[in-house]
Amino acid sequence: MTSPVKIWRRQKEIRKFLGKTGTIVSWTKIFISGRGFKKYAPYPVIMVKIDNNQKIYGQLVDYENNNLKIGSKVIAVLRKVREASVDGIIAYGIKFKPLYENN
Amino acid sequence: MISLLDYYTTKFGELWEKSLSDLIQEAVNGVLKSSKLDKKQIDAIFLANMLAGVLENNLHTSAKLAELVGLNIPIYRVEAACASGGVSFNLAKNYLDANSDKNIIVIGAEKMTDYSPEETTQALSGAASGEEQEAGLTFPGLYGMMANFYFEKYGYSEKNLAHVSVKNHFHGSLNEKAQFRNKITIENVLQSPYVAHPLKVMDSAPISDGASAVILSNNQSIIRKSKHAIKVLSTQVINDTISLKSRKKLDEILATKIAADKAFQESKLKRANINVAEVHDCFSIAEILALEDLGFWKKGQGGKKVLENSTRWGSNSHLIVNTSGGLKAAGHPVGATGIKQIGEIFLQLTGQATNRQVKNVRYGLAHNVGGSGGTAVVTILGN
Repeated sequence: MTSPVKIWRRQKEIRKFLGKTGTIVSWTKIFISGRGFKKYAPYPVIMVKIDNNQKIYGQLVDYENNNLKIGSKVIAVLRKVREASVDGIIAYGIKFKPLYENN
Repeated sequence: MISLLDYYTTKFGELWEKSLSDLIQEAVNGVLKSSKLDKKQIDAIFLANMLAGVLENNLHTSAKLAELVGLNIPIYRVEAACASGGVSFNLAKNYLDANSDKNIIVIGAEKMTDYSPEETTQALSGAASGEEQEAGLTFPGLYGMMANFYFEKYGYSEKNLAHVSVKNHFHGSLNEKAQFRNKITIENVLQSPYVAHPLKVMDSAPISDGASAVILSNNQSIIRKSKHAIKVLSTQVINDTISLKSRKKLDEILATKIAADKAFQESKLKRANINVAEVHDCFSIAEILALEDLGFWKKGQGGKKVLENSTRWGSNSHLIVNTSGGLKAAGHPVGATGIKQIGEIFLQLTGQATNRQVKNVRYGLAHNVGGSGGTAVVTILGN
């Protein structure tokens, strides 16, 4: 269950990751999702090692299939992460975009 | 010595006419009848169930079970995600270590098919970390990440995984209690739709209903009278981080490795002594990782070893794996799975496995995993 206060608590952590770059450690593409994610499916989720060696998860957006590769570079961005709850709170969180050499 | 006296399982599958209580009742009555024990001889019950609280607002199942069986004895409900069954067996064994002359029923039960895939997927994902849930990861997704990592590191592909499901469906065709009795081909697996890349429907254990029960005892006069007493040589539970990302390696389940090492040490057996194993194949990749982490295969070679079909019933090798059909074909009612695995080893060791009986079996191993590897249970049984 996602309560508004839980979202608020989590969202305080988000800013630490915004704009951070890293590489894909592994990835998957979800076709059968849980509730709250159905309208995004299919969507890729990646495990990223950011440049301070910390690992985080996030969905990959604005991607081509050839970006879904272990070792590809990505950058953390702010996005809506799930369908709004019954309380109407929009949950924001970290997703990733491919990072191209000429960016 | 603690002995396993008997086993009963309901059929696994989409059992729309049966509630969770119906399934539990059938399993309890079944195992009592088969063991010829009276319910008054039962001193305690351990019940493994993961999802009733989340899916059907069904809690305090211990008292519900007391009403169902009509007994005033201690009943404990155990939850450890898909390892609930294995952990409950382990706790029952510990209970017997602490109390002499007792008979215990250990039952695992789950009712999952009353709900939509999204609802069940959501409920199951409660056993993942909050961050994994927030990223939209599911259990197929977590195992999909392990599979893609494994492919990249050792150069395998989806075709290697497909062999696991083909073998387990063949075994399911021999098990009348299995959810799926149909044999399948590599092409059937490869052509099935994705659940979470690279894992497809036919790489994945189904959503199932079912209940399985065993009787454990340290009452020596009951054990002596029992026709089929099997020794519990070791049962080990190990926990690890809930998050996949917090583990040092993505191509191994460390909890399995540690639990297996401890179980082999306690039972004083070698890997080569094990003739039958039920391993936790919630996804095809999981069976390959399990056989490596349990120490039967070298790390990284599983993708190649599956092509030899050496663990298939009828092969000449010393180790046959998942004769029940595994989670893939027998079905995966999560709380019941760990008990069904132990029950299948019991059937094999007592010569009751009918048309899937493996010859000359002396020792067997059951391996049950919770989540993406946050819990592992390894149990070794012997004649």
